[in-house]
Amino acid sequence: MLKRQVVLECIAALLILLFLYASVSKFLDFKRFIDEMNNQPLPNSWTPFLVWGIPCLEIAISAALLFEYTRLLALYASLVLMTSFTIYSIMIIAHFFPYVPCSCGGVIRKLTWPQHLALNLFYVALSVLGLVLQRRKSFKPIFINKHSFV
Amino acid sequence: MKKIKWTILTFVVLFSIGAAFATRPKPYQTLYWYNGSQYLPAGTMGLNYVCQTPSGNVCTYSYSGGVYTPYMTASAYTPIALTTEKAKPKPTEKKGN
Repeated sequence: MLKRQVVLECIAALLILLFLYASVSKFLDFKRFIDEMNNQPLPNSWTPFLVWGIPCLEIAISAALLFEYTRLLALYASLVLMTSFTIYSIMIIAHFFPYVPCSCGGVIRKLTWPQHLALNLFYVALSVLGLVLQRRKSFKPIFINKHSFV
Repeated sequence: MKKIKWTILTFVVLFSIGAAFATRPKPYQTLYWYNGSQYLPAGTMGLNYVCQTPSGNVCTYSYSGGVYTPYMTASAYTPIALTTEKAKPKPTEKKGN
């Protein structure tokens, strides 16, 4: 039980580390982030939504991961976000788009797309593991020990 | 347990923000691209040009004190096929690569 809790806290910490670092990096060099978003092979009309939506969502997930009662929701959101990034990385690597753009903020920018994919897959796996552990914790059977109700 | 948890999470939050500041790039400035003989202003990324990497490894340069320094390097990108007709920006005279 304690071991599960420790693993869960480590997973939350790793996710917070990624999301908070990535979002603050984007806001610290926002103009460049807008340029990089424009450079992605997506319609430029999406840029205003993406440049505000992604970092804000990352911060919201980080905040939600801190608290026990919002953690399950945050883990679901993290899984959805990381899966989206993973699918996007796969599409880039598979040459689905006409060109390969540069990537996102901070030191993460220095990663190649296959490395990005590996990082994303790692975080998808972390989110899944976190979800499984958190759900087990949240929905644990009431009658674990019949003597506890005596 | 709760005390340890909050100590670790506080450290992680501070570390993330600190790391973001520590790895912050230089302030944004006008960027240039090299056409083989001279440096030209790069325009707006995604509108006038795209940063891609079929051949060269520097996409854009920054200018300071008479020196052009690689700003957005392409060495980290996966080199793939050339931009096709379906590419988002129309290739104009400004094409950073």
